[in-house]
Amino acid sequence: MSILATKETHVVIQGGVAGVNAARRMGEFRHMIQQPLNVSAFVYPPDAGKTNEVVCGNRLLTIPVYKTVAEATANHPEINTSLVYIGADRAYAGAKEALDNSGIQVVSMITEGLPEKDSKLLGAHARKLGKVFNGPSSIGIMSAGECRLGVIGGAFDNLVACKLYRPGSFGVITKSGGLSNEIIWICSQFADGITTAIGIGGDAYPGTDYVTYLEMFENDPQTKAVVIVGEMGGDLEERAAEWYGAKKRRVKLLSVVSGFCQESLPKGMKFGHAGAKEGLQGEGSARAKSEALKKAGAIVPETFGALGPAIKETYEELVKSGEVTPIPELSEAEKPKLPRTVEQGMKDGDILVAPLIKSTISDDRGDEPLYEGYPASELINKGYDIPHIIGLLWDKRLVSKQEAEIIRRIIILSADHGPCVSGALTTIIGACAGIGLSQAVAAGLIMIGPRFGGAVTDAGRYFSYAIDNNMSVDEFLAHMKKNVGPVPGIGHRVKSLRNPDKRVKELVGYVKSLDLATPHLDFALEVEKITAAKKDNLILNVDGTMAAVLVDLGFPVDSLNGFFVLARTIGLIGHWADQKRQGSRLIRLFNYLVNYAAPARREVPPLQ
Amino acid sequence: MAKVLEGPGMGLLRKWGLQTPNYAVVGSSEELEQLAQANEWLNKSSLVVKAHEALGSRFKLGLVKVGLDLNGAKVAAKEMLGRTVGTLTIREVIVSEAVDHSEEYYVAVKSTRDGADVMVANCGGVEVESNWDRVKRCSVFVGDAPSDAALETLAKEAGFSGDLIAKVADFARKLFLCFDNEDGQYLEINPVVLNAAGELVALDAVTLLDGDAKFRHPDWTFPFAAEFGRAYTRNEEEVMAVDSKVKGSVKLIEIPGGDTAMLPAGGGASVYYSDAVVARGGKLANYAEYSGDPPDWAVEVLTDKVCSLPGIKNIIVGGAIANFTDVKKTFGGIINAFRKAKAEGKLDGVRIWVRRGGPNEKQGLAAMNALKEEGFAIEVFDRRTPLTDIVDMALAKK
Repeated sequence: MSILATKETHVVIQGGVAGVNAARRMGEFRHMIQQPLNVSAFVYPPDAGKTNEVVCGNRLLTIPVYKTVAEATANHPEINTSLVYIGADRAYAGAKEALDNSGIQVVSMITEGLPEKDSKLLGAHARKLGKVFNGPSSIGIMSAGECRLGVIGGAFDNLVACKLYRPGSFGVITKSGGLSNEIIWICSQFADGITTAIGIGGDAYPGTDYVTYLEMFENDPQTKAVVIVGEMGGDLEERAAEWYGAKKRRVKLLSVVSGFCQESLPKGMKFGHAGAKEGLQGEGSARAKSEALKKAGAIVPETFGALGPAIKETYEELVKSGEVTPIPELSEAEKPKLPRTVEQGMKDGDILVAPLIKSTISDDRGDEPLYEGYPASELINKGYDIPHIIGLLWDKRLVSKQEAEIIRRIIILSADHGPCVSGALTTIIGACAGIGLSQAVAAGLIMIGPRFGGAVTDAGRYFSYAIDNNMSVDEFLAHMKKNVGPVPGIGHRVKSLRNPDKRVKELVGYVKSLDLATPHLDFALEVEKITAAKKDNLILNVDGTMAAVLVDLGFPVDSLNGFFVLARTIGLIGHWADQKRQGSRLIRLFNYLVNYAAPARREVPPLQ
Repeated sequence: MAKVLEGPGMGLLRKWGLQTPNYAVVGSSEELEQLAQANEWLNKSSLVVKAHEALGSRFKLGLVKVGLDLNGAKVAAKEMLGRTVGTLTIREVIVSEAVDHSEEYYVAVKSTRDGADVMVANCGGVEVESNWDRVKRCSVFVGDAPSDAALETLAKEAGFSGDLIAKVADFARKLFLCFDNEDGQYLEINPVVLNAAGELVALDAVTLLDGDAKFRHPDWTFPFAAEFGRAYTRNEEEVMAVDSKVKGSVKLIEIPGGDTAMLPAGGGASVYYSDAVVARGGKLANYAEYSGDPPDWAVEVLTDKVCSLPGIKNIIVGGAIANFTDVKKTFGGIINAFRKAKAEGKLDGVRIWVRRGGPNEKQGLAAMNALKEEGFAIEVFDRRTPLTDIVDMALAKK
């Protein structure tokens, strides 16, 4: 048995993210005691109609979110408890809504900074209706082995360490959230643990008082003793003392009260919770409260530290008198465990996962990217440049200074070729149609293919084939004619022998000036001699030149188109930005630029 | 609980129809001169000048001057403004009109668990403090208002007679309206006086409002004053500024002359730690607290201030077993500030004592323990060591 939060408790949580987090904690508890989740619904108007995901055990549950408490209880008639996780300015209305709902008997509020008047009104309203309004500023309510309301009890490991998977014999009432957990721990170490622990909140006028809960504990046969952690200020401890001293009580009462330090502090200096304030006439001091409790027959240790031994002594008396039978401890293997995540299992080294993909070039798991194992910042600081990164990510090697310079020149030479070429024109049309950068640039990149910029890979492939097979130029051209067709990398739409492509001249001139073996480039130039002699625009074009040079540098054939794609992306982005900057309008082709060769207008035959 | 200075307090009373003497809050004697050109009462009446700051015992400190004319008031204002009392510099004075009267009374409304008590006495000033049994009270349930009949009965019980009964009842009714509508916690008018025209006037007021209700009072444009008879220190104000910005809370109160610095977690546990220090005969150098899983940088700011307290010998980094405050994360903030303080020499001869539990406690405590290797004098304990034992150890080692 327990009080307030029991096996029969079904919860609606009013609130957003904090409420979902509380539900997650409650899910952990339910898993520990092997019960289904007891959160039936959320109420949070901004998310009404959606669902929240809550983990319980190894299952991910979807819990509906409603606009009002009434909707929640209509759909989930088992709801009898509400947890309020709403900001201080709206918490009153939320809690009132829950109290006014006929199905709800207990409302517990974690909200801090609720105006005192609101707290008093809610407390009075609940008492009038015969319900319980717990809080505000309450960490929650914990009934060992039965029900957790809110985040009280902390992390899962702590729940197990405090043996909260089964009831003990001690009830706990505290104002402080942190100390509720401390006392739960102490009860589990010095005695057999708790029945129910309640955080009533540290405000000046909490919605309930110790006496309400003492009455409940008195009527709960499982609870043999109650621990109250009091604070100076208000009169709740005095009222508890009065209740305890009024007649013979079944439960034993233990209590400590904080605030003795006030006696030696500058006058008016206030510590701790909002409610921890002495009255103007000195009433409500820690000393007055401790004296009242002692006088009523409660066990009141001198310090907080002496509470543990006092609890132990009480527990031993209870065992001796036969009121309590010690509970056998669970072995490590028997203790509840949280299902581990895949991540945790892998970290612990006892789970093997078949990876979905494999990456051999980069790693993002540290504080900065590693390219082929080299930290990006270190590459920068040691003077490496973009061509080196291309070398690492495309060919898994650090290229030399000389190679990097060639790559740099290739990129500069092919970064753009004016607005008229297929790629740029497409990007410009896209920009004029108002589409975004990535879409318009992608549209331009899509144009890169066998006829525009995309011959680099194929050119490289065939030049390599020729060299690898020791072909002569004539053999090569015959092979191409028979099996492939025009030679990729040879031929230009407008350039010719008489109107040479300056980019090709520049690149060839530079590469030839270096002390570098260039068998592919040499072969390509030999091919050009033959083809250009046949027709003067069958020259080695920029694709072919790049291809031959890059194959000479050792880049894999399949990566070669990438150099053009990379370089030209610079230009395409420029074209998109240029149109955007100008505020260009939608364009379309003039119809005089179209040869309308379709049949002339005619009658549509009847549908057969 | 938020204390409101006399000026804005009087403003609230007037808002709810209570009569107060004419008053003006000024920051310079020149401002008073300007106001005198527009306000006849400043030239005609006998004036009272008081320091308008959160200070106790102003009379003793010579910060209340009575029976002045305008020139006298200007001189008094000039004398008071800029004076420093402890850490506080007087920046404002309140100049009010003296009210001729023979009788002094007492009316107050005080928040109680069930609602409020309306309190009335037919004596006032210091007399009521030595005759507390003459204060009669009428309890009002939260959500209710006292009836006229009940207030008249209260006035009669307090010993009022004749037409004063209705006047006192009306005064109490309005004070209750002010209390109820302005989220009051304690409103005390002492004394209430009867002026020459036979009207009740609120001569001096204590106004405590519920600071948490500020969100529904757009006209609360005044700052709240420190409640303990001194102004906030710069460190306290800086921590308050952080506190107002973050999830969770960080709090600091400095206590000059102490040598045991406090850096515990939790509004409840922090007081037990303070109690333990006092019980052991130690002297607190401060009160501090962080809770509600505040960001690590906020805890770092708080730690920085705590390390900067002069003359400290021990720092108590205590805490109960947290429910949801991440120990590793918040300790990260503390450790950052510790390292900085050590580099600046602030931790020379200072011993640090740690006890804590909660989410990620193992990692958090291990990180603290590792500070030993950096030359910190630090002792770290986990949940198996009772809460305040570190205080016993710290103070026993002296």
